[in-house]
Amino acid sequence: MNKSNKWDDKEIAATGTAVIILGGLILYWLLQMESTLELLELAYGSIKLFNNPLVF
Amino acid sequence: MLNSLWSRYTRTLSLVLVLLLAIVLELFEVRTSIYGNALPFFEWMRNSFWFGVIGTNYGSFYATVQAVHLLSMAVIGGTVLAADLRLLGVIFRDIPSETLTRGTHKCFRISLTVAIATGIFCAAGVADKVYYMEVFWIKMLVLISGSCFVFLFKQPLLNSRPHDEINPWTLRLLAVTSLLIWFTVAATGRWIGFS
Amino acid sequence: MINELLLQFGQWMEAQQYSQMLVAGYYSYNWVEATHVLSLMMCIGTLFIIDFRMLGLIMPNVPATTIAARLHKPMIIGFVIMFFTGALLVYAKPVETIQSLWFRIKMILLVLAFINAWIFNARMKAADGSWDMDPVAPKTLRVGAIISLVLWCGVVAMGRYIPYDWVDCGRTDNPTILWAAGCVEQLRAL
Repeated sequence: MNKSNKWDDKEIAATGTAVIILGGLILYWLLQMESTLELLELAYGSIKLFNNPLVF
Repeated sequence: MLNSLWSRYTRTLSLVLVLLLAIVLELFEVRTSIYGNALPFFEWMRNSFWFGVIGTNYGSFYATVQAVHLLSMAVIGGTVLAADLRLLGVIFRDIPSETLTRGTHKCFRISLTVAIATGIFCAAGVADKVYYMEVFWIKMLVLISGSCFVFLFKQPLLNSRPHDEINPWTLRLLAVTSLLIWFTVAATGRWIGFS
Repeated sequence: MINELLLQFGQWMEAQQYSQMLVAGYYSYNWVEATHVLSLMMCIGTLFIIDFRMLGLIMPNVPATTIAARLHKPMIIGFVIMFFTGALLVYAKPVETIQSLWFRIKMILLVLAFINAWIFNARMKAADGSWDMDPVAPKTLRVGAIISLVLWCGVVAMGRYIPYDWVDCGRTDNPTILWAAGCVEQLRAL
């Protein structure tokens, strides 16, 4: 079976868009995570997800 | 030579052209200028009777439309999970993935249409707020690029031939991307409500 | 009587430190709420696909019981997530939720949906597999699927109404609504 024959136009284009979108989304969520952690640190002085603001 | 290349790789070359166009438009700050000029449209949505005014003055109607929006989101999730988890080989291993891909697509299309229609109404009620929200624009970007991905790239490839003739890693990549796209659209949508 | 007990239970929960932490934390409440809503896609989305298949609206070429069996697991996982995050949401705002008319209707609809699902499952198991490849399921199962769709639409709608304050205690003096929502103090003041 000749594998290179399988990579036709549709497959290249679909893979390309998938890589771009997936990369973008992963980057987005990582940046979100980072900024959230920074925000929590700013708010509470330490990274605690379920911090009690009544005591800080 | 160029002609045959174009006819053989129409989709791929179009994708490259669209990406180049996006970069050029970004360099000329077209996005920023569109953003500035879009404000009147959002104000119009907010003040037009059939969108914003009904949405803000009839709270129970607005909440009901939101419920329909959530229900269509649920059906989108169901169809996406069924089709993409099958592509990943997690569920439905005894049913061909071609059957699931084709079988769920119509339902997905209808529920996406309902979600977009109700979503426009919901956004119009708070159009003057969402305009300034980054998360709203992220959602729109992911929604538009995700829809293009599904309708112009993923579905045509999956319908073009039996799935065992497609590279298994391509199938997995398509499935993961689609799952993450619709998760992001839903999650950013929920976050609009909190902002 | 039961309204008083529920209110006391709510006040007891509200007095707890963890309940207050959950609601006052920076993102904690929003995250729990978002998880609750997003698991809709897993729980109700897959449930609706099973119901749609019974009605012959989707994938008529796949055996109905296969769809029901294969989607059972994601549905249950989604439901467990929804249940726990939902319980946390009640725990975070107990009095407000317990005195919400919508929350009470939602719980009744949930119980009805459960009874319906139980009957549906029993009927599906009792029926012989002769209809399995038919595009639509037998009438009893179709009725069950429609009831399930209606009840779950109601559950989602009621859930969406909970944050709205149209009929909160203090917003109405209709005694029936006040009783149904469990507004003990407002009823006493009438």
